[in-house]
Amino acid sequence: MRNFFFFCLLFGVALIGCGPAPVQNHASRVQFTPINSEVAAFWDRQTTDNAVLLHAITDEYNASHNGLPVKIVQTGNYGDIYRKVTASIHARTLPAMAASYGAMTLEYAKAGAVVSFDTLIDHPETGLTEREMADFFPAVIEANRYEDLDGEMYSFPFTKSVLVLFYNKRVLAKAGIDAPPATWDAFLAQCRAIKVATGNPAWAIDVDASTVNAMIFSMGGEVFRGKETLFDSQPAQRTFALLQTLARENLAYPIPPRTFNDETALAQDTIAFCFRPSSNRPYIEQLMDDPDAWGIAPIPQVDPEDPHTILYGANISIFDTTEEQRAAAWGFVKAFTSRDTSVRWSIGTGYLPIRKSAVDHPDMQRFWAQNPRNRVAFDCLSFAKSEPNRLGWQEVRGLIEKTATALLAGISDAPQAGADLKRTADAVLARQ
Amino acid sequence: MMRKILLYTALTLGALPMVYPFVWMLATSLKGLQEATTPTLSLLPEQWLWRNYLDALRAAPFGRYFFNTFFVASVTTAFVMVTSTLAGYVFARLQFRGRGLLFGLVLATMMIPFEATLIPNFVLVSRLGWYNSYAALILPWCANAFSIFLMRQAFLGLPADYFNAARIDGCGHLRYLAYVGVPLVVPMLTTVGLFAFLASYNSLLWPLVVTGDDSMRVVQVGLTVFAGDQGVRVNLLMCASLIVMLPTVALYFMAQRHFVEGITGSGIKS
Repeated sequence: MRNFFFFCLLFGVALIGCGPAPVQNHASRVQFTPINSEVAAFWDRQTTDNAVLLHAITDEYNASHNGLPVKIVQTGNYGDIYRKVTASIHARTLPAMAASYGAMTLEYAKAGAVVSFDTLIDHPETGLTEREMADFFPAVIEANRYEDLDGEMYSFPFTKSVLVLFYNKRVLAKAGIDAPPATWDAFLAQCRAIKVATGNPAWAIDVDASTVNAMIFSMGGEVFRGKETLFDSQPAQRTFALLQTLARENLAYPIPPRTFNDETALAQDTIAFCFRPSSNRPYIEQLMDDPDAWGIAPIPQVDPEDPHTILYGANISIFDTTEEQRAAAWGFVKAFTSRDTSVRWSIGTGYLPIRKSAVDHPDMQRFWAQNPRNRVAFDCLSFAKSEPNRLGWQEVRGLIEKTATALLAGISDAPQAGADLKRTADAVLARQ
Repeated sequence: MMRKILLYTALTLGALPMVYPFVWMLATSLKGLQEATTPTLSLLPEQWLWRNYLDALRAAPFGRYFFNTFFVASVTTAFVMVTSTLAGYVFARLQFRGRGLLFGLVLATMMIPFEATLIPNFVLVSRLGWYNSYAALILPWCANAFSIFLMRQAFLGLPADYFNAARIDGCGHLRYLAYVGVPLVVPMLTTVGLFAFLASYNSLLWPLVVTGDDSMRVVQVGLTVFAGDQGVRVNLLMCASLIVMLPTVALYFMAQRHFVEGITGSGIKS
């Protein structure tokens, strides 16, 4: 009897613990208090040199603006930021803003915790003019609109980059190749030539959903339309078939998750190619012993006349706390994404300037003149597009990576993998 | 003699896999980034970059982080030793209705993962106004089921006659604990203290979540500054990791004898 009582008690405690988290309609107002009312706290992820620059920009902003000072709080990686914001939403106390990805912002918005940027932008006194908005690349703005939330803009671009091809000229030269591939057919041919010349695989793959999606885009496809995914479409099938071929012929191999082994292999002349966000350029620069031994190119395309790549990167979400906090956060976001600061941030970090007018900026021109390859990523921005901002997409990304891993491990067949992925991904999205 | 040589050879071979990671850390900490990321069996750096240690220590306010870490870990350890001694004694020696059930409930808390309690703990800390304070870093960790269990086992191992004899001499529970019980369970208490110190010293997520200021942060949070989205400064990370690791290694060697006694005394195998 005593054991039964004990079991019931434990079961009851467990049931209470499994109760649903409070979810608010995104349109409804929930009262949140600032976690630190003396500053506008910005929970961010930047480290090392990027963090130093961000702090410098913030200090200068604080010195030249009235109102609450902005304070950068390094909050671990994006997973840590998400956990901390989620906990803070439950505690009804939030920072002024935080770096966030689309899936994170969606969750915050569902809890009624973030403010709509549409309201901030349209404000007659403190908003942005049409001319200013037109200066942003459309893709970086559209990436912050959420179809599941009536297409409203719940975040603002912060650290943007595009997927590019990093290549090692010395390895290409060993195979008698003098230029990186412009098409996927040329890419496959070069991988085969490199394998013959060096005996090594040509590409170390960081199995990432964004890379797979970028490949589908560059094959002329889409990953989502209406209410269903398009992983059984011809461009997706071509992508999966290419991955399968590369693995079967030992032309490519996957690296362990969350490592940068592909970048180190590239620097050590072990491989010829790695696909990474353009923002990884400064780190690769540090790994390379010879600045002329490597280059950056747009990812290969099925039709180089109609190129596509993927737009990456975190955004800033502003939380719905006090008017003072919101104003400070919005002021900082506007200043940070101004032409001058955008250019400065780009040169210092490798992230992309998100304004079209950056192209004429003297500092940018000087930077590109000194480092011509660094312009490649900026040129890709005009044809980059982001992944869908849909509820459940984060789970779909996991399925994409599982599919790609199975293909590279040789335990899956391309047509079947595409069909299976579509079926499971659609089921995930339908559940939302 | 031959037996001794074989024994020492076997022990040396067994120790190598344990020691190698530390030697690798030291070697990597003295290399440049390019060399540190090159997979090689050679441990010796081409260039001995001692300034890496300066660079690593300048990357974050490690002085403040170390002070916070030692303060938080020491106070937490002291609290855990007191609470687990008292609770362990109660569960071992005092007879009262519901003792078994209460002890079962205490042990049941070990089945709840930290991740599950993160949000309720944060909400509580936040509502108490403890965000970004030592209270948030210390108080939630001042008692834990495992330490209580260890101390209960230690007190259960003491013959009841000691307590009865002390009672005849006029001792109450607290005096018995202070003059007889605790001195006899020092090895286990040392083990509990060591576990508590290490748990506090190594914690990352909780300090990251409940602090919002360098003035309150701890060394484990400091180590995260070397890893970004673009790559890891593995050489600087190894410098900082070595420095951060040293106090715990020193502590282990200081408390090694008690620690081993405590572990063998509790019947814990790993």
